[in-house]
Amino acid sequence: MVSKVSMAVDLGGIRMKNPVNTASGTFGNGWQFEGFYDVGELGAITTKGCAAKAWDGNPAPRMCELPSGIMNSVGLQNPGVSAFVASYGEYLAGLERRGCRVICQVAGHSVEEYVRALELFEELAPFASGFEINISCPNVSKGGAAMGATPAAAAEVMAAVRPVTKRPIVVKMAPHDVGEIARALEAEGADALSLINTIPGMAIDVRTRKSKLSRPTAGVSGPAIHAIAVRMVWEAHKAVDIPLCGIGGVTSGEDAAEFILAGATAVSVGTANLVDPTAAPRVERELEAWAESQGVSDINELIGAFEC
Amino acid sequence: MQPSAKVHLYDFSVRSNEAVGRDVFRMVMESPELAGELAPGQFMNIAVPGDASHIVRIPLSFAGADAGAGTIELVYAAVGEGTRRLSRMGAGSGSTVVGPCGNGWRVAPGGRALAVAGGVGAPPVIAAARALVAAGRDVDVILGAQTKDRLWGEKDAHDLGASDVVVTTDDGSYGRRGFTTQAMEDLLAQRDYDLVVTCGPSVMMAGVARLAEAAHVACQASLERMMTCGFGACSTCNVAMRAGGYKSCCMDGPVFDAEEVAW
Repeated sequence: MVSKVSMAVDLGGIRMKNPVNTASGTFGNGWQFEGFYDVGELGAITTKGCAAKAWDGNPAPRMCELPSGIMNSVGLQNPGVSAFVASYGEYLAGLERRGCRVICQVAGHSVEEYVRALELFEELAPFASGFEINISCPNVSKGGAAMGATPAAAAEVMAAVRPVTKRPIVVKMAPHDVGEIARALEAEGADALSLINTIPGMAIDVRTRKSKLSRPTAGVSGPAIHAIAVRMVWEAHKAVDIPLCGIGGVTSGEDAAEFILAGATAVSVGTANLVDPTAAPRVERELEAWAESQGVSDINELIGAFEC
Repeated sequence: MQPSAKVHLYDFSVRSNEAVGRDVFRMVMESPELAGELAPGQFMNIAVPGDASHIVRIPLSFAGADAGAGTIELVYAAVGEGTRRLSRMGAGSGSTVVGPCGNGWRVAPGGRALAVAGGVGAPPVIAAARALVAAGRDVDVILGAQTKDRLWGEKDAHDLGASDVVVTTDDGSYGRRGFTTQAMEDLLAQRDYDLVVTCGPSVMMAGVARLAEAAHVACQASLERMMTCGFGACSTCNVAMRAGGYKSCCMDGPVFDAEEVAW
């Protein structure tokens, strides 16, 4: 079936052939999914967060199941930018040639570390269409969510990374105070915002009185947080003019459509990739069918079309 | 080198699924393509229907795969909500399975091998023992369980051609009373081995690994971790290494050289 709807969107200069992206940390670096479908069909992928130098991540256990979701405490395990590019650069450059935009996620413990990691990406990753600055990981002791906890802290990171690259910068936001923090990031030159990161939660083994994971708190994701994420995208949409990527519990085209209506230009599939490895292209097909059923000729007509 | 992806999504249907012990079930599933792909020690990640609020797949190793018949034999303990739901899947029902996941046992010809299994670690150990016998080795098998009614694999061990089969139960309700490691110490004192393969509770495998290392015998251990995707996308199934840092249970394992692992 040839769709009558134009699905192409522009996420702050990242020109995607359709709105479907993948959430960092739930998609490896793309190649893991090639056995399930042609990853080149996706609008974009966002690679696993990577810092200037390798991080070990957190001890096991890193995951437990929750009703309609999971909680993870991976802690941004990564090999460092140089090793990342050496291992996956050729594959990712090929993915770009296949029409799928590659967004490389950047991690750091401090403003200086974000700058250093982005400098390395800028030099070593010419294939990347854009970068996502992760100032919202709840699973690291230094940096991570602390770097995006207040408008001032978020603005400081954004102001420092902005001069490093002319390519689009997306900032991944924590699930709180999104209106205020979105405005601060927009003012410092962010090209787009992605939200939400996982929501900090706890799961206690009442027999041992200890956490079910290796740290007391960890990040909740999956369908359980979808409604919260839609509300936060709507708040950000009302606060800023730059485009948004909606993330949180997307398992169907209907979930993705809610984000579009709430004001998102693109949508990332996250936890669903891990339980149904074919989720992302199915979400794209279902989103396209929904757009067609809405009688529009361009998906962009539906962005922020929520009526209230 | 370009990374490649060898893991696929397959349909399966249940041919049979029945209790073979207390909380221990044996399922024969039909999934012809996957049955032809699986190597002993690899695993699969099964979507178990019946409760939409539980989204995570169940990672399970297997006892045998028959490429000709297109069937896979699973033996599992119904210990959590997911495996209890799996135990209720009736003949003819179906779902999807991700596989083949991970790297299996490294099987090569050689001298006498010792296979040590605890509880529901038995299925991959039986698969390893079968492969080692097929490679021309003499294989002794130690099977341990808490109680007689939780034991599985004794008949399979005999059927695959194991030279010696030793059974232990924690409570002495069957076979030798005590732990598999005590039986292993005795066999190591009596015979020369050049390979140990093991799967079971982590504390047992740590003991097996220590004994093998002390006896200068190579040891492969199949590890279990909380796991989400099973194919290297999420980094949740980390295994701490003796040399520092982590490896991924689903991509680098689940079978590791025991001396690499920080038990």
